[in-house]
Amino acid sequence: EPLQLTPEIHTVSLQSALQEANLEWTVPTFSHQELNIVFQIEISRMRTSNTIWVGNYSTTVKHEETVHWKWTSDIPLECATHFIRIRAMVDDAQYPPQSSWSNWSSWKEVNAQVSVPPDTLLIFPEDRLLEEGSNVTICLMIGQNLYNVSCKLQEEPIRGEQLDSHLSLIKLNNVVFLNNAGTNINCKAMNGTKNTFGTVLFVSKVLEEPKNFSCETRDFKTLNCLWEPGIDTTLSWHKQRSQHYTLYESFSGRREVSNHRNSHTWQITEDSQETYNFTLTAENNLRKRSVSISFNLTHRVHPKAPHDVTLKTVGATKAHMTWKVPSRGDYTLLCQVELQCEGEVIHEHNVSVHTSANYLFSDLEPDTEYKACVRCASANHFWKWSDWMQKKFRTPEAAPSEALDVWRDVRTENGRHVVTLFWKPLLKSQANGKIISYNIVVENEANPTESEQYSVRAPALGTNLSLDLHPYKIHISANNSAGASPESLVVLSSHSGHEEVHEKTIKGIKNGFNISWEPVSGDAIGYVVDWCAHSQTQRCDLQWKNVGPNITSTIITSDAFEPGVRYNFRIFERSVEENVRLVEKQRGYTQELAPSVNPGVTIHNLTPNSFSLKWQDYASDFQSGFIKGYLVYLKSKELQCNPNWERTVLSDKSVLCKYDVDDPETKTLTVENLRPESLYEFLVTPYTSAGQGPNETYTKVTTPDVRSHMLLQIILPMTLGVFLSIIVCYWKSQWVKEKCYPDIPNPYKSSILSLIKSKKNPHLIMNVKDCIPDVLEVINKAEGSKTQCVGSGKLHTEDVPTKPPLVPTEKDSSGPMPFVFLENFTYDQSAFDSGSHGFIPGPLKNTPHQLGLLAPPNKLQNVLENDYMKSLVESPTEETSLIYVSQLASPICGDKDSLVTNPPMPVHGSEYKKQMALPGSLTSASLKENNLTS
Amino acid sequence: WAKRGCSSSSPKLLSQLKSQANITGNTASLLEPYILHQNLNTLTLRAACTEHPVAFPSEDMLRQLSKPDFLSTVHATLGRVWHQLGAFRQQFPKIQDFPELERARQNIQGIRNNVYCMARLLHPPLEIPEPTQADSGTSRPTTTAPGIFQIKIDSCRFLWGYHRFMGSVGRVFEEWGDGSRRSRR
Repeated sequence: EPLQLTPEIHTVSLQSALQEANLEWTVPTFSHQELNIVFQIEISRMRTSNTIWVGNYSTTVKHEETVHWKWTSDIPLECATHFIRIRAMVDDAQYPPQSSWSNWSSWKEVNAQVSVPPDTLLIFPEDRLLEEGSNVTICLMIGQNLYNVSCKLQEEPIRGEQLDSHLSLIKLNNVVFLNNAGTNINCKAMNGTKNTFGTVLFVSKVLEEPKNFSCETRDFKTLNCLWEPGIDTTLSWHKQRSQHYTLYESFSGRREVSNHRNSHTWQITEDSQETYNFTLTAENNLRKRSVSISFNLTHRVHPKAPHDVTLKTVGATKAHMTWKVPSRGDYTLLCQVELQCEGEVIHEHNVSVHTSANYLFSDLEPDTEYKACVRCASANHFWKWSDWMQKKFRTPEAAPSEALDVWRDVRTENGRHVVTLFWKPLLKSQANGKIISYNIVVENEANPTESEQYSVRAPALGTNLSLDLHPYKIHISANNSAGASPESLVVLSSHSGHEEVHEKTIKGIKNGFNISWEPVSGDAIGYVVDWCAHSQTQRCDLQWKNVGPNITSTIITSDAFEPGVRYNFRIFERSVEENVRLVEKQRGYTQELAPSVNPGVTIHNLTPNSFSLKWQDYASDFQSGFIKGYLVYLKSKELQCNPNWERTVLSDKSVLCKYDVDDPETKTLTVENLRPESLYEFLVTPYTSAGQGPNETYTKVTTPDVRSHMLLQIILPMTLGVFLSIIVCYWKSQWVKEKCYPDIPNPYKSSILSLIKSKKNPHLIMNVKDCIPDVLEVINKAEGSKTQCVGSGKLHTEDVPTKPPLVPTEKDSSGPMPFVFLENFTYDQSAFDSGSHGFIPGPLKNTPHQLGLLAPPNKLQNVLENDYMKSLVESPTEETSLIYVSQLASPICGDKDSLVTNPPMPVHGSEYKKQMALPGSLTSASLKENNLTS
Repeated sequence: WAKRGCSSSSPKLLSQLKSQANITGNTASLLEPYILHQNLNTLTLRAACTEHPVAFPSEDMLRQLSKPDFLSTVHATLGRVWHQLGAFRQQFPKIQDFPELERARQNIQGIRNNVYCMARLLHPPLEIPEPTQADSGTSRPTTTAPGIFQIKIDSCRFLWGYHRFMGSVGRVFEEWGDGSRRSRR
């Protein structure tokens, strides 16, 4: 028979904030001591017929015991009245299975509703705390007079379900965290007041499990526990404080709340517990998260750093290190020793330590700073290394270990060798200290006892020596404070710097040159290739590379190599005697570039149909590539290109002709077959393998017209011809005049008289020598005329002064002016009286011989002869009396002194009178003519 | 009231007060950070803040006051604001989360000190008026304590009223400078 165990609900208490209803009921008819019963609970909302939930709850019920059960509503309890009833059924092994429920209890009303004033909107839940990702149902309780209520979650409209005119439900699923100030929901009725109603959802981030939880000890007195706390779930308005962390150790049963979010210090008790089992729990208002660890204390030892570290150098290459560690009984630590140099670990070693230890570093570099480091860890159960303890030290200097890499440049100046020595600085590992100076010993091989020593202070990397042409040995070494390096040797022979070798052209590769050469002798111990790093500047910066004995090629690379720069390489052979000999020269470019400038061009031989172009040469070292030739461009509106010229029609319909002068040594070109009176434009540009020079402005030239050119060709020769003819005619007329009608006829030259002469009548013409002068007048002559080597005495019209004769005055005379006036008064007195006597105002020139007083000079004689001949011609009879004009008696150069010692007494107004022999009738006219022409 | 020594230079004090009023009258100094922090930066919620300002003395009222009364009103009102902002601190988990709040309180104390000093230069002794009764602004159910949403809105309105008030105070001080209010006692 089924037991009738109808429950009776006693109380229903509400937790509105949690939306929970706590039920308490009893089973009045229950008379058993203890029985397992299943209760079925039915919950309705707003009215009993609206069942929203039915569920079973099975529990063991004791006699007169109240049964407790909790129900969580999906909506705030303030929003609607709920009704609850319960029925039961025995589910116990003592009884056969029951087939029917008891009767239902009476309905119990659950009412948490609040009254809603008119024109007011109440929104529940109010300020609800919930976890991100959860769901929540919002209910709106709408007061009288309000309708058409709309809500927003922040700015996003949200819609709900209208249960009746005063209640709406809005379901929000999977809510998200916005910030710790909460997410605002606000609602407004369209017809109501302007008041805004709302609530805040405090959405918390989900509490995370602590990560990487671990504990360790450094001193066996405390355990330091660390963990990563995860995200902070704190919310504003005190809705939720930051999660807190609790440590629980299960063996000791101790529980401690941490004051920090990520660490806790756990005191180790005296009884030396060895094993620990910790549970770390994170907790906030919404949930708890826990993690556990278990460990043996000796396996979690993190030693403190070693202390009392000392370092002492032993010589230049060793150092002794000592240190101590925190000790604990027979606990052994393993210490790791490291030696660092320039940030890199160069040595590492492990040492077992109880309390103190030491270690010797060897094979150290002299004059080097090192850092010695040591750290320790448990030797038996490694957990963590201690912090490093480190100490720096520096080894002392030692003498340089390597000889210098030396090279030289030799040139001959003024019969001496000018030797420039270069050396590369020693590497740090070779220098073994700071290089202070370089020692240079110059040994004359011709006289080995004579050696000179020089010192060059660092950081110089070279020096100059001036030596005679004898062979020399030069020893170079580097010095630091500890000693000198091994010596480097440079040998100079008498021929150094005089080698003439073949030079060839090479092609560079990217950033370098592949240089190869032919070995000259079989006993070379090596080769040296040198070059200037800056070949285009004054600063050469000589570089060199040593190459082994059996190698005849090498690749020279340098970041300093630039495209378009010519580099010149010299290859030297090094012999056993350390003598070097230049064996080859090479030149090339890493990359040839197109020329950057065009040559200056001049135009020659411009004709109506052609012209010639001529351009200048380049300095070869400053070319941006090897010049292969020149391109000549010719441009014109109407142009037919010559054969071998390449023709191009440009966009402006002009024609461009191109000619390739493919010989770089050819620097002229004649352009032919041009049109007269036409404008041509040309450009001459060089080209290399990389291209041609800049496309600069074309030079314009206009060919002349044919007529003017021909005129020029005709008129110029004609003009020259006429001019020459005039000269010839003039000369001829002079000749004819002299021959046929001279001013003073010369009887000896007269062709007329040749017949007479041929009749051998020597007396036909009077010989002047036969004349005896009857008067000799000495006239004071100016000093100047005397000192001026006197004139030739020529009285030819060419020698007559061009100015009119002047009578010297006292003023004009700077001193006594002695001159001689010779006059034969027996001759034509009228000539004298007429004042037409000749006067030579200046010095007489080029007198070839001393003027004899009685013997007239030859020229004078000639003149006289000419005059005489003339007079003969003009005279009607041979018996015409001759007028003899006495000639000048002038001092001569050679007789200067005697003249000075016996100067002629100056007579005022005394002068030289030109004397001539003239026929009486002609005297006056002839003299006048002379004066006019002079 | 401040115990520190006051400047005897009225123009200097006035200049400082005008400058302080300009700073505190700017909503960027407190209201805007508050709106952003409390997620009130929506059209609806901004409107809710500004359409129903909390009662502060109006600018017209301030203009009608004599200088001593004006200073006394400013001093008292700012005292009320200072206390109210102190209550705001509980809205934030840590004071560092909203540094503008403490900065604003310090500025208010500075202004009050200067107001006190300015009042001392106006010889009649100041009387501290009763704090102006602030209107609650909105009616809310009397049966329940206001929810956090309502506190947010009320706080926002309060800050809006505070900034407006300081703007009014600044403009009144500007008029002191140009002498347009010299006629008052």
